Amino acid sequence: MPDIELALPARAENIAIVRHAFGALGEAYEVNEQMLSDLRLAVTEACTNVVVHAYPDGREGPLEVQATLSGERLTVIVRDEGEGITPRPDSPGLGLGLPLIASLADTVQLGRDEEGRTEVRMGFSLHRWNGSEPAGARP
Amino acid sequence: METNSAVLRVKVGPLAGPLLTRVVAMMLARAECPVDRLDDAMVICDALAAHASEHTQDGQVEFTVLTQTGRMELRVGSLAAEGARRLADATALPGVGNVLEPIADDVRIEASPHGDNDELVLELDFLQAPDRGRAGAPQA
Repeated sequence: MPDIELALPARAENIAIVRHAFGALGEAYEVNEQMLSDLRLAVTEACTNVVVHAYPDGREGPLEVQATLSGERLTVIVRDEGEGITPRPDSPGLGLGLPLIASLADTVQLGRDEEGRTEVRMGFSLHRWNGSEPAGARP
Repeated sequence: METNSAVLRVKVGPLAGPLLTRVVAMMLARAECPVDRLDDAMVICDALAAHASEHTQDGQVEFTVLTQTGRMELRVGSLAAEGARRLADATALPGVGNVLEPIADDVRIEASPHGDNDELVLELDFLQAPDRGRAGAPQA
């Protein structure tokens, strides 16, 4: 069972909502600021990809974000119901989104879920920057 | 009129309150909500998140936030049988009473559109300054 599931229309303004929502991890748990910053940036990039690429021609579709905390490991999945991740010669971006995600997350998998939705699955170690201090609930 | 929606499903625990308040605050900011009503919304979110854990059916609570300019509807679902009523009652404070009803413009219990147990529904209007002696809310 995921700890967080957030579904919104895939619009530019809603990327900020997802980014802000993930700041809640820092309120609820002892997460290193650098780690949280990396996490939020990676999630923001994945959501931006959905908004920019998933639904061409002004079509609107869902942007879904799911996060599951398991011990010191956080898995974040960003999903859409778009056409999948394919090379796009006319891309309005610089093409740096996925490489940036790959450099920020410990693991990245691109693919489709069992319902055929496109997903970017990112894994983060919550105390990557914390030395031996575990990520526990704040008192 | 700009509309937006978000469905937040969260496991009960320390994340519920911070997540709900952050999502609602961002959505209200885009719906031109004045600061005093934003503060009211945060009180509602804190109260719901604090007590929802006692009334869920599977350890998760689902918040559906619908906004348009001047208005927000917040639905609390995935509750146990009678959970909506009990959650509303649980927000009562000694000597103060129910904190939802004086703040929200409407508090009601509705059947879930998904066929689950009843949902607690709250509405907040903020385009017209209500008769609460509030300052800062723009007139329609």
